[in-house]
Amino acid sequence: MGSLFRSESMCLAQLFLQSGTAYECLSALGEKGLVQFRDLNQNVSSFQRKFVGEVKRCEELERILVYLVQEITRADIPLPEGEASPPAPPLKHVLEMQEQLQKLEVELREVTKNKEKLRKNLLELVEYTHMLRITKTFLKRNVEFEPTYEEFPALENDSLLDYSCMQRLGAKLGFVSGLIQQGRVEAFERMLWRACKGYTIVTYAELDESLEDPETGEVIKWYVFLISFWGDQIGHKVKKICDCYHCHVYPYPNTAEERREIQEGLNTRIQDLYTVLHKTEDYLRQVLCKAAESVCSRVVQVRKMKAIYHMLNMCSFDVTNKCLIAEVWCPEVDLPGLRRALEEGSRESGATIPSFMNTIPTKETPPTLIRTNKFTEGFQNIVDAYGVGSYREVNPALFTIITFPFLFAVMFGDFGHGFVMFLFALLLVLNENHPRLSQSQEILRMFFNGRYILLLMGLFSVYTGLIYNDCFSKSVNLFGSGWNVSAMYSSSHSREEQKRMVLWNDSTIRHSRTLQLDPNIPGVFRGPYPFGIDPIWNLATNRLTFLNSFKMKMSVILGIIHMTFGVILGIFNHLHFRKKFNIYLVSVPEILFMLCIFGYLIFMIIYKWLAYSAETSREAPSILIEFINMFLFPSSETHGLYPGQAHVQRVLLALTVLSVPVLFLGKPLFLLWLHNGRSCFGVSRSGYTLVRKDSEEEVSLLGSQDMEEGSNRMEEGCREVTCEEFNFGEILMTQTIHSIEYCLGCISNTASYLRLWALSLAHAQLSDVLWAMLMRVGLRVDTTYGVFLLLPVMAFFAVLTIFILLIMEGLSAFLHAIRLHWVEFQNKFYVGAGTKFVPFSFSLLSSKFSHDDNIA
Amino acid sequence: MRETAELYFNVDHGYLEGLVRGCKAGLLTQQDYVNLVQCETLEDLKIHLQTTEYGNFLANETNPLTVSKIDTEMRKKLCREFEYFRNHSLEPLSTFFTYMTCSYMIDNVILLMNGALQKKSVKEVLAKCHPLGRFTEMEAVNIAETTSDLFKAVLVETPLAPFFQDCMSENTLDELNIELLRNKLYKSYLEAFYKFCKDHGDVTAEIMCPILEFEADRRALIITLNSFGTELSKEDRETLFPTCGKLYPEGLHLLAQAEDFEQMKRVADNYGVYKPLFEAVGGSGGKTLEDVFYEREVQMNVLAFNRQFHYGVFYAYVKLKEQEMRNIVWIAECISQRHRTKINSYIPIV
Repeated sequence: MGSLFRSESMCLAQLFLQSGTAYECLSALGEKGLVQFRDLNQNVSSFQRKFVGEVKRCEELERILVYLVQEITRADIPLPEGEASPPAPPLKHVLEMQEQLQKLEVELREVTKNKEKLRKNLLELVEYTHMLRITKTFLKRNVEFEPTYEEFPALENDSLLDYSCMQRLGAKLGFVSGLIQQGRVEAFERMLWRACKGYTIVTYAELDESLEDPETGEVIKWYVFLISFWGDQIGHKVKKICDCYHCHVYPYPNTAEERREIQEGLNTRIQDLYTVLHKTEDYLRQVLCKAAESVCSRVVQVRKMKAIYHMLNMCSFDVTNKCLIAEVWCPEVDLPGLRRALEEGSRESGATIPSFMNTIPTKETPPTLIRTNKFTEGFQNIVDAYGVGSYREVNPALFTIITFPFLFAVMFGDFGHGFVMFLFALLLVLNENHPRLSQSQEILRMFFNGRYILLLMGLFSVYTGLIYNDCFSKSVNLFGSGWNVSAMYSSSHSREEQKRMVLWNDSTIRHSRTLQLDPNIPGVFRGPYPFGIDPIWNLATNRLTFLNSFKMKMSVILGIIHMTFGVILGIFNHLHFRKKFNIYLVSVPEILFMLCIFGYLIFMIIYKWLAYSAETSREAPSILIEFINMFLFPSSETHGLYPGQAHVQRVLLALTVLSVPVLFLGKPLFLLWLHNGRSCFGVSRSGYTLVRKDSEEEVSLLGSQDMEEGSNRMEEGCREVTCEEFNFGEILMTQTIHSIEYCLGCISNTASYLRLWALSLAHAQLSDVLWAMLMRVGLRVDTTYGVFLLLPVMAFFAVLTIFILLIMEGLSAFLHAIRLHWVEFQNKFYVGAGTKFVPFSFSLLSSKFSHDDNIA
Repeated sequence: MRETAELYFNVDHGYLEGLVRGCKAGLLTQQDYVNLVQCETLEDLKIHLQTTEYGNFLANETNPLTVSKIDTEMRKKLCREFEYFRNHSLEPLSTFFTYMTCSYMIDNVILLMNGALQKKSVKEVLAKCHPLGRFTEMEAVNIAETTSDLFKAVLVETPLAPFFQDCMSENTLDELNIELLRNKLYKSYLEAFYKFCKDHGDVTAEIMCPILEFEADRRALIITLNSFGTELSKEDRETLFPTCGKLYPEGLHLLAQAEDFEQMKRVADNYGVYKPLFEAVGGSGGKTLEDVFYEREVQMNVLAFNRQFHYGVFYAYVKLKEQEMRNIVWIAECISQRHRTKINSYIPIV
């Protein structure tokens, strides 16, 4: 857990990679995922880098692999889940692999092309047979409707047309027949009519079978058409129009015998083609099956290779061009691992000179690395969503693990609802290795990633539900109520007592709608309920008033404790960053300001709870009035909570007022004094720092003699930032803004914590309404029909409970809990201006790419 | 109604406007151009384009890469975007889109007819057609022998039909007549588009009218320039000028009489907008009149994005994208022909 409190300490290391072994070293590093590379060639555009050629080759391989995968999935061959993560291929194998893949691609393209050609051929033949079959019916029809031919000018003399007559005209009469897509028929006909001015006859019929469109591969409906026309010129036009509408035109047989011959010929050819096509497909399948065996691991390998070259592109060359220099951020703990990985890489490549590394001092801010496990990951994500922590600052995620579910539960307090949520989360946690869960999409994935948060949220809700004594809005009487109703009866008391107190008799019971229990009567109140709120309040009409007062005070108390804790965490930051003055000049006044006002408020709340009992409750002063009077110094005497209250309050107020100027001016003035003091007696010292800075620069130059100009310039820039000029005005401004924000924030943030009360009230009321509107109705119906009614009512109740109370209300409470953490808690100490440590790791890579694959 | 139109704009067209603005943000930046110009080979160009909004649109192209492959892929990409806009548009934006495609359709029809005249196969010419101006009847264009034929048989159902009113003739379609047809079609198209925008009113009119006016004047000037030394008579020339520009009517009259570039320039000098353009011609870097016009067009299109709630952004985006594609093709040509001296004379989009 220590690692969760602060991010890990990092160091900047320089890797000297012998150009022969660089690839292997990076491969070893990528497997381990230890370091983050810095781009040393930032001002070199992507195609001018050193290893562009290799990256291009990887892309070429990727293209082939994508093609292979596409073909394999199209052939419905299952892709075997090969070795989960094969290592990056050794360089000597790459060429071989490339050759293999290229050969495979060429072969595959050839076979597929052949196959496509055959299929197209087959399709054409099939279309032709269909056309012949259907046009035969056209012809018959034409013969039947002989009079239609009368309209043709050439036939005017022959009023009666017989078949031989048509034969005679055959020379002039032309036919074009073919297939056309369904959607184009209408436009086609219109165009024909317009272009040929009506001198054509079009007959068409729908094809009952759907055929594939050779251009798009879609299966669509087709129409068979037959156009008859006179004259060559029109014939040309018709043919052009057919082309335009992508009709498949086939020669039209003039005689019946010809038709039969063609049909027979077609049938045999179709059968031949079928066999050939089958053989081709079989062969193709074989090739693809063989390819499928290795394609998965190949894909991963090529990705790794590409990633390695991308990283190598970030390195710079030294002058001799024999050595690559990489700059990496590495967690200090992992340095031995880094060394080992380098050794491994060098050993693997069999290089004579090993690659080595050395750490270099730097003033740049390293990236933030907080190691998480599956449990803490979700909480860390909540914090990171606000801002990745600055390097080595206190990480609020550690505390969020408890405070977040707790604040959520305060708003969501219901034993039943919490338990359902807990069960759901438990289900997710127990089945977390199930592949369907971890690969699920969108909403379920969201729940899955936050399963441990949900689990704790559910548990804490059970706890607060017990405190509030709410189970689906009903109270549970576990230990027996502390209130005794029978003690209120007049008969149970002696005569004197009856005179003193207002007791119940038979007539009050009979005539009053509400009865009041009086805790002052002995025996009525037998001490507090052992755990949580007494279930008798569930029956009370003033339940809401009581709970409101309790929850409001509770949320203020929780809020102030939470915020004070935040300020205290700030002290840890100041200690760690060696800024002790910040503790005295910022943190302590902040805590004083907070505690003197709101800490005192808590004190008053608790004091009132303890000091006043049922008898004295009538004299108890209002906390609100007391608190307001603390600031107004009223002249009129009030009772007060305790003796000497006025003096205590005056002291506290004085402390508060005093802490404000300290908060505003303390830090700027101190820094000014520090600055002036240094320049007063330390002329020599400033000179010394200057000298030291120079020498430091030299040292770093020695370390990285041959670094490229770009990185040098970058480093200089960073150095400039660190030895920035002292600007009093700016510091004063920042501190003033911070102080104003804090002082006002104390009040507004405390008020903000009242949302705990508001949401918990809303949740309780909503579940109460649901119970009253549904279950009570269902339960009131008499026993004979009640069963039938109760079942759907139960179902409806369950659905509404889950969707409104669990999901909707849960989401709103979740958001408010997040807000309380981000705004009210974290602004007290958390800067969150860091960058995340993104290691060069194959594990991150492959998961990202396989996702891409799924989409493709 | 004028004021409230802006209130309701987003209901119908808000999504598309947001989308097109996002697309516009993906245009290549100055830095991208600087990098592109440094490329040594087309492969380098491809690698650099991968880092931009184009993504890996060339990833599935087999080697070797050629300029025409890049060009067709880029066109396809633009076409996909445009189709998306068009499919999600509502009236009157969809009519506006139809108007936008009309200019490409005219170009395609003319291209096909020229192809038919030179006895090229339809397939070959089709490949050269701009995908934005594609329509089914297009391939049947070559069955027509006269303009009225063309209209009656082929184009009567296309959006181009209304533009044929002025150019019905029984002349056979030779090269000159086709060119005349193109210009006449374009003239009526521009006038119709101009009228549509004007009638639409609002910001759309305020943005689109100047752009179309400029387009009309540019055509008039280019027609004049191209007609020097041809057999086109001055009266015929005047009938080709679109009349919705700033030059109408006096400027067009004068242009019709112009006989050489100097005279044309004198006409343009009377107009504050065109004077600086003509002065820039042949100045630094040997710019042609066409380049200057392109630059001016880019400028106007970029400015169109400064206003909201109008259709001009769609027009401007497509035009800017076209210019960008022309730039990339220019750079790619320079690279592939090893003609690096002129590589920098692309039109920057700022």
